Amino acid sequence: MGKVNPAVLEFETMVKDKESYVKFIEEWVKHSWRWAKENKYTTVFKIQASILRAIREYLDSQGFVEALPPIIGPVTDPGIRGAKQATIDFYGHEYKVMSSAILYKQYMAAVLGKVYFVSPNIRLEPNDSVFTGRHLVEFFQVDLEILNGTLDDAMKVAEGLFTYVAKYIKDVHGKDLEKMGRSLPDYKPPFLRYTHAEAVELVNMLGCRNPQNTEILWECEKVLSAYHDTPIFIYQYPKGSRGFYNREDPGKPGYLRDFDMLYPEGFGEAISGGEREYEPVKVIARIRESGEDPNKYRWLLEMLKDFYPLKTAGFGIGVERFTRFICGLRAVWEARPYPKVAGIGPAP
Amino acid sequence: MLEWVALKIGELALRLKASLITLRGIRDFIDDYPIDEILLKAIKGEEGVYPFGELASYGAAMLGAPINRRGYPRFLTIDDLILVPPAFTPRRLEKMAELLREPVFTDVNLEVDVGGLKSSMPLVVASMGSTDIASRYSIAIAKAAAKEGIPFGIGENVHTVRGYDRRLTRGHPSFKERVMAYLTNMDKYGGVFIQQNVEDAYDEHWNKVYSDKDLEPYIDEGRVAFEIKIGQGAKPGLGGVIKMRREDAVKVREKYHFLEDPLKTDRKTVERYSAPGTYTADILRGMIRLMRTSYPRVKIWVKVGPFRDVLDVIKVAYEEGANAVIIDGKEGGTGMAPSIAMKELGYPTIVGLIKIREARLMGIDDRMSLMIAGRLFNGAHIAKSRALGASAVYAGRPFVAAAMVKGEAGVRNLIRATKVETQMIVSALGKYNIRDVSQEDVASLNKDLATALGIPYVYSREF
Repeated sequence: MGKVNPAVLEFETMVKDKESYVKFIEEWVKHSWRWAKENKYTTVFKIQASILRAIREYLDSQGFVEALPPIIGPVTDPGIRGAKQATIDFYGHEYKVMSSAILYKQYMAAVLGKVYFVSPNIRLEPNDSVFTGRHLVEFFQVDLEILNGTLDDAMKVAEGLFTYVAKYIKDVHGKDLEKMGRSLPDYKPPFLRYTHAEAVELVNMLGCRNPQNTEILWECEKVLSAYHDTPIFIYQYPKGSRGFYNREDPGKPGYLRDFDMLYPEGFGEAISGGEREYEPVKVIARIRESGEDPNKYRWLLEMLKDFYPLKTAGFGIGVERFTRFICGLRAVWEARPYPKVAGIGPAP
Repeated sequence: MLEWVALKIGELALRLKASLITLRGIRDFIDDYPIDEILLKAIKGEEGVYPFGELASYGAAMLGAPINRRGYPRFLTIDDLILVPPAFTPRRLEKMAELLREPVFTDVNLEVDVGGLKSSMPLVVASMGSTDIASRYSIAIAKAAAKEGIPFGIGENVHTVRGYDRRLTRGHPSFKERVMAYLTNMDKYGGVFIQQNVEDAYDEHWNKVYSDKDLEPYIDEGRVAFEIKIGQGAKPGLGGVIKMRREDAVKVREKYHFLEDPLKTDRKTVERYSAPGTYTADILRGMIRLMRTSYPRVKIWVKVGPFRDVLDVIKVAYEEGANAVIIDGKEGGTGMAPSIAMKELGYPTIVGLIKIREARLMGIDDRMSLMIAGRLFNGAHIAKSRALGASAVYAGRPFVAAAMVKGEAGVRNLIRATKVETQMIVSALGKYNIRDVSQEDVASLNKDLATALGIPYVYSREF
């Protein structure tokens, strides 16, 4: 049984007084150059560079190829909790700025086999996301995909990647971490795996009420994360709480072949991933769940037919959240320069 | 010569007829809808509950129960049910003990919870969309509904066709104007429910609403619902259609289906079709789950047309924790629907009420509201619907008609008159809370309806 990291606790104390927190965050965002030069943050940015380097080293060693991510397209990831997409006019067509490169990962996995992007994402998150400490409007994600990969393959890469990076940072930045008061243990995979149902049962036992068949609530995710001192996996989410590209388990209808990995110590979600739905008819029915016209996703549907059966699995890991965890920061707005936070602007 | 005159007269008669046909739509509404009753209330307010024009007055008229109906209806309606007050009224005695005086109709409490929103009475302004008529009068209706404390709906396509916060078409309010006209005039009752169809989804309508700072306080307060539309009464199974000016059509040509490409046609207006939207039980289930995950602070409503499998829809909605299901019967209003659809598709409103009764008997409890729509507009309709398990009546056209004759004041008059009418009826039944009205308070003039609803047939000894 672990405990909540002091930085997370400090953040929680900050948001208790909403008004003064909003004041603080406005100043933080609008004059970010003032803190970016402080020793703590120059160290954070250097560690961030090392995290990216370590990720690339690990993935390259596992046979992944880095590909250039898309920036805009007629559609982007629709499976985002309540966040809006940014729209631009593309010569008379409406294009979206990527909220994740998910659909293009399948494309590139078909082309190259094992791929990853270090990709910028824009998500116009709802205003109340200011108070989570885990949401930025502009952020980076390392997004990878494995042709003919399975849920288990993706989870193994996630474990390996996390462990490699944590060790790398300890080796290279041991002193820096010490100065920041952050200590990381030696992580030893495999990490614990809970089904979604088991996770819900556990959080309910821990005193956080989470209904069955819905996404784990932020509050409960924190409880679950604080209960462990190594990362954990939650897999087999109920259908309906996730984007249409998550594949339904043919052996367990109503449940998905997908997973999340949570950081320990109350830092919450690290990774989301899983196997992708590849049967065009199923994809179309799932698209309808978000009330949309499948015509919008025509290129994806045509590609799925052309490359049938395009079986892939993969995941995405947020770079700022990873940095927050490694450095033990209060919130993601400490984990990048010029942070963009929901509803607050104009700012650099 | 004589033949020539006859021919000319014939031609004239046909031309006259033809010119009248061009008035169809409005004329059908005036001929066929009980418009007198609504207009009287819109003009006179509470006084409009009595059948007086300007000449007749209290005690000076000679009135009685009407037995003739204009035209001959093809099917049964809620008017085939009657309300049956008792002589012995123990509840009135209870109320008297509470008030220490004889209770009167104004003592009747009409407050109800409708789909997670608090309403001053079991009446809801149906979500009306982007059509000219709905759009033109929307602000007056919004303000009146807010001030009278009843929930108000905003239908599909408003965002896409009329603009989110910037007006896209001249003379028509944007989505934001409509929603704020309601929300900023609301007091302790009411709330707004908002539709998103396939085309609005293109513009991420709900996402936009959910993260709109101006709406946030109302969302936090729990005064906002999102309404999934699975068809409507006037054209179950068909999508919306309106005529658009060509230049407006060009702006939305990638999102809608047009019979003629607005870029290529030389006509001034083009018909724009929207898709009905495809559903299966799985899709609806997934959709509600997705909405509960993405929009945890809004209520979820589901509106269905007169479909034969409506009970399955209710079941899925209930299991997934939706707050309301509305059944829109075939008499339901619309800005535009093919004649054949209105005549032939779907079942009458009263059958929707039978379905609601069945759902309640099946165990769908009041954690989920069930509403009924389709040519329902007065206090009796509300009382009968409540008696048979419906949570509220969902109406559109009466408010538009009231707004057409007297603007916002007309709509407020209509709502107040309907309130008084409902209070009168409930008190006549010897009850002082609308929630106490139950199946014992209704009986049927028709044998089949009596059987289907499990209530007494009036012309029988069981009654």
